[in-house]
Amino acid sequence: MDGNILILIAILLPIFLGAIFPALKFLKSDIAKNAYLACSVFASGVLAMIVSYACNGTTLMVFKLTESLPVFMRTDSISAVFATLVTVIWSLVLFYAFGYMKEEEETDRFFAFYLMVYGSLLGLCFSGNLVSMYLFYELMTLLSFPLVLHERTKEAVLAGLKYLFYSIGGAFVALFFFFVIYREGVSLDFVAGGSMAPFKGNTLMQVSTLLVLIGFGCKAGMFPLHAWLPTAHPVAPTPASAVLSGIITKAGVLAIFRIVFFVIGVDFIRGSWVHYTWLALTLFTVFMGSMLAYREPLLKKRLAYSSVSQVSYVLFGFATLSPVGILGGLLHVIFHSAIKNTLFLCAGAYIEKTGRKRVDELTGIGKTMPYTTWCFTIAGLALIGIPPLSGFVSKWYLCTGSLDSGTGFFSWLGPVILLLSALLTAGYLLPVTVKGFLPGKDFEPLPKNDVGPLMLVPMIVLASLTALLGIFSTPLCDCLIRILESLSI
Amino acid sequence: MNNKVSILISVFAPFLAAFVSYFAGKKHEKFRDIFVPAFTIFELGFIALTLNVALTDGENPVIANSLFVDVPFCMFGIRFRIDGFRFIYTELAVFMWAMCSLASKRYFLHHKNTNRYYFFWLVTLGATIGVFLSADLVTAFLFFEIMSFASYVFVAQEETKEALRAAETYLAIAVIGGLVALMGIFLIYSSLHMLDLNMIAWHADPVASLYSSIRIVTDGMRTKVYIGGALILVGFGAKAGVFPLHIWLPKAHPVAPAPASAVLSGMLTKAGVYGVIFVCCKIYAGLVPAGIVMMILAMITMVVGAVLALFSVDLKRTLACSSVSQIGFILTGISMVILTPKESLAMGGAFLHMVNHSLFKLVLFLCAGVVMQNLHKLNLNEIRGFGRKKPYLMVCFLMGAVGLGGIPGFSGYLSKTMIHEAIVEGVEHFGFLKAVEIIFLVSGGITVAYMTKLFVALFIEKNVSNEVYMRETDIDYITPAGRVAIGLPAVMILVFGILPHVFYDKLATAALPFFSRYVRELHHVHFFNLENLKGAGISLVVGAALYFGVVRTLLMKNENGVKVYVDRWPKKLDLEDAVYRPLLDLLSKVFGTIFMFLSDVLPRFVYNISNIFLSVLARVFGEGTDLITLALRKTLYKENPTEHRYIGTVETTKLGRAANAVERFLNRTVRKKHPKNVDHVVAYAEELELTRRKMHMLESSLSFGILMFCIGFCITMIYLLLR
Repeated sequence: MDGNILILIAILLPIFLGAIFPALKFLKSDIAKNAYLACSVFASGVLAMIVSYACNGTTLMVFKLTESLPVFMRTDSISAVFATLVTVIWSLVLFYAFGYMKEEEETDRFFAFYLMVYGSLLGLCFSGNLVSMYLFYELMTLLSFPLVLHERTKEAVLAGLKYLFYSIGGAFVALFFFFVIYREGVSLDFVAGGSMAPFKGNTLMQVSTLLVLIGFGCKAGMFPLHAWLPTAHPVAPTPASAVLSGIITKAGVLAIFRIVFFVIGVDFIRGSWVHYTWLALTLFTVFMGSMLAYREPLLKKRLAYSSVSQVSYVLFGFATLSPVGILGGLLHVIFHSAIKNTLFLCAGAYIEKTGRKRVDELTGIGKTMPYTTWCFTIAGLALIGIPPLSGFVSKWYLCTGSLDSGTGFFSWLGPVILLLSALLTAGYLLPVTVKGFLPGKDFEPLPKNDVGPLMLVPMIVLASLTALLGIFSTPLCDCLIRILESLSI
Repeated sequence: MNNKVSILISVFAPFLAAFVSYFAGKKHEKFRDIFVPAFTIFELGFIALTLNVALTDGENPVIANSLFVDVPFCMFGIRFRIDGFRFIYTELAVFMWAMCSLASKRYFLHHKNTNRYYFFWLVTLGATIGVFLSADLVTAFLFFEIMSFASYVFVAQEETKEALRAAETYLAIAVIGGLVALMGIFLIYSSLHMLDLNMIAWHADPVASLYSSIRIVTDGMRTKVYIGGALILVGFGAKAGVFPLHIWLPKAHPVAPAPASAVLSGMLTKAGVYGVIFVCCKIYAGLVPAGIVMMILAMITMVVGAVLALFSVDLKRTLACSSVSQIGFILTGISMVILTPKESLAMGGAFLHMVNHSLFKLVLFLCAGVVMQNLHKLNLNEIRGFGRKKPYLMVCFLMGAVGLGGIPGFSGYLSKTMIHEAIVEGVEHFGFLKAVEIIFLVSGGITVAYMTKLFVALFIEKNVSNEVYMRETDIDYITPAGRVAIGLPAVMILVFGILPHVFYDKLATAALPFFSRYVRELHHVHFFNLENLKGAGISLVVGAALYFGVVRTLLMKNENGVKVYVDRWPKKLDLEDAVYRPLLDLLSKVFGTIFMFLSDVLPRFVYNISNIFLSVLARVFGEGTDLITLALRKTLYKENPTEHRYIGTVETTKLGRAANAVERFLNRTVRKKHPKNVDHVVAYAEELELTRRKMHMLESSLSFGILMFCIGFCITMIYLLLR
């Protein structure tokens, strides 16, 4: 083991702290437990940030599975972006979970796995080659599985199994690609610009490329392996569904980003049938997700379908292979995480306070829970892409990037589909706000009864992030542009 | 004060004031009710004092008066510019808001959620100013969207069922329009890589861009810009109320509070027209096919709106439909600008008609508000006669009505005459304009007819209802502030109309640079010569004919001796209910079903099928040898089934023969008619065989053994007992 050992510590610390948490019997009261968890996430977060920024560019060879399969970690600017995102969202949702999980049973198990998933996500961010990425990818799937079936109802267990089935199936589909390129003699390390660039492609490689995109696209909710999202998210406890939708789907995005820009290389895909198939799949998913969300009465399921659609915005941005589109994609990774977490947290707050899960039951909710509904409204408008909120900025780059990408038919179909989907987004999110605040003349609202500060503050912070990141988007854009330039994309 | 700072203050002060009014209004309603009108009047004065530089320098308005402000905000920053057009329209917007705010206090006397209303009222003001002052596409779009969403709240303000439904339509059209416009902006940006309105106009102009050294514009790029322009046109046209996206106007205006309808109709539609002017006059200038398409749309909008207004029996609905029609008049002017881009008349006419229409609708909707706040009704039959013995209201309403009708001496006549002149002059280049002229004049006639209908109903006819009769002499029907709010614009209509060359010539000249880079001087019009008066005369005659020929006969009927207005418009002829909503429902159902199939049913089906297939395959291989054995046993090693014959014993054979003989005998004698033919030899043999088998089965069964055991046991017992 040589290199920067801090990387491994940063990954293992939350996993270790989480694993011992249920065994710590001396933590009796809720306050002690919460303090332990908050300190754990804080300590791990600080360490992760140190690793991401102070030790940027360092590497670590952990061990070798076989002589040719090393588990190799590295920190670079992309891992810094994703690690920061994960850390911020994870700590905010943790505080929300303190409030939300009070009523639930077996919270120890939940929080233990919550911490461990954080560790596995950091591992995914800091992976330096395909082997370690695959390792942490599967680890993340297995560790997040208990979060889905936390309720242990029949429905939850079935949903958990579906999640597991899809995730592992998707990973195996992707594994095929590893075998193919390994046989061709391509290095499994991540190289900016693509380690496969010097190799001439053949049909097998192209097929396996499409398979790897579909396989990792499973976690990102891309058609045809998207169906686990709408099943798994509604049954999981709200903090879990928030991070599943906001962050875990982004793990799939990160995997695809690494594969496309660090292994396959842009030139291998550009102009081939794989490129167009990928574009078509992402656009189809964008439209399909929005349409299904529009027709879904259950709020959390609606948000899950919305994630299917929105994460494919990101993938579409990558698929344009134009710098502006990729920038839009990366921006949307961040914005969608903040937005979708806000929305899920609000949906959870509604369930917590009123027990109402269907959109049509939420009439007049704005009078009962005004702060929550305002957070929902701001995040909703941001997701639709109303300027100057954040969704508009990413949509702008995605669409202009697509129009400049030179992908022919898809270059203008993309913006059309994205805007159609934005229309549907308005159709499925605005009714909550509209009916919530304007329930009708003779409606007798319930007395004002909003959630406590423990749940409210994370929602407000996230909701203001969705607004402020859009209004003052320039520094973030500049930073991402620099990163993309350094990757020579 | 620095001009840039004052632009920023004028745009952002309303947003700030909105928050002040909201939080102050929670505790101190009285303070808020004074604060809102006071703020709008302050804003009016502030803009007039600090930004009038846009009007004063007449030499080179484009360059000298363009104040450019750049704020880092949301990606590209916000850019504002001020010139004559923008200045006048901003002022007019704030003026409308000020007048409506004055009238609002009395209107909202017993209403709920007034605080919310005022908050969005001021936000909408800020957004509208932002739209009119915007210098680039993204800024315009940003404020346009804020305006749409904020104004949604005051359409839905009353929260009645109709209000919520109308607001839903309004929001849907706003969102769809916004997104279509955004697509247009994307296209323009991706082809020219610029957002500034003037720069885009410069590059889109085939003549000007020849001399442009900055960027070479190819035909492909220009096509993209044209398509983008069309999309922006759809987006802004939806807000302006252009056919076929006018559907929100007749629904939203009647349900909104009257001050809100006044600005919706007078100002928000103009924010839409602002975008339409940008596209038509800056991108499409001189493009004849675009001009013809726009002209057709303008004609349809003009006629449809006017006819709907004529049929309507609801005061505010009539006014709303009239707005659609008047937007059609403005569009006619704008289309003339496309067709003849060097003529100043169409530009001046279109601009002045915008100004006029804002003023008319301000007066008329506020009058409708007065009716509403006293009677809480809007149906013409229920409110008729309300205005009797209220000379102030009558005079003000009359100003608006005759202005709208284009009667000489009032301001509407001037703008209509200018557009009319432009059409007449265009006839020599485009023959079809002859037809346009006729439609234009007839629409003017319909306008006269429906305004007469409203005026007669409100101020002349008597009402049988006691309530309205009692209120006839009510002096307290309007507050002093309300009198000012209605009176001031009414006076303006009259003064502007009488003195055209004092005010309107200057306003139009100041606005010209916004329409075209080439035109600086307004073509002088002799408004009161015979030729122009003739146009107004034709409209008046048509109007009178329609009023007496249609309104008083076809659209009224006798009921208990009283003539009442009836709504003859077929309910089914509603574009929204007949086409749009069913179409959207259908599309969502079709796509929803397909996608549900793909994402839910199909994976399950594939899973099940592959499950079955694979398990069958696995079974085939896993139990293959067994299967082969089975197959062999069924085929090659199949036991030969032999026909079984029962043989029987000697006794049965003999007995059978005897029985056969008896049967033969019986057949011949007793059963002659129904003979029986059974071979008893075989039958007895079979019987014997079966009995044997049964016995064998019986003997081998457990119960038989037990039975035998029991019998033996019994015999043993008996033997033991007997011994």
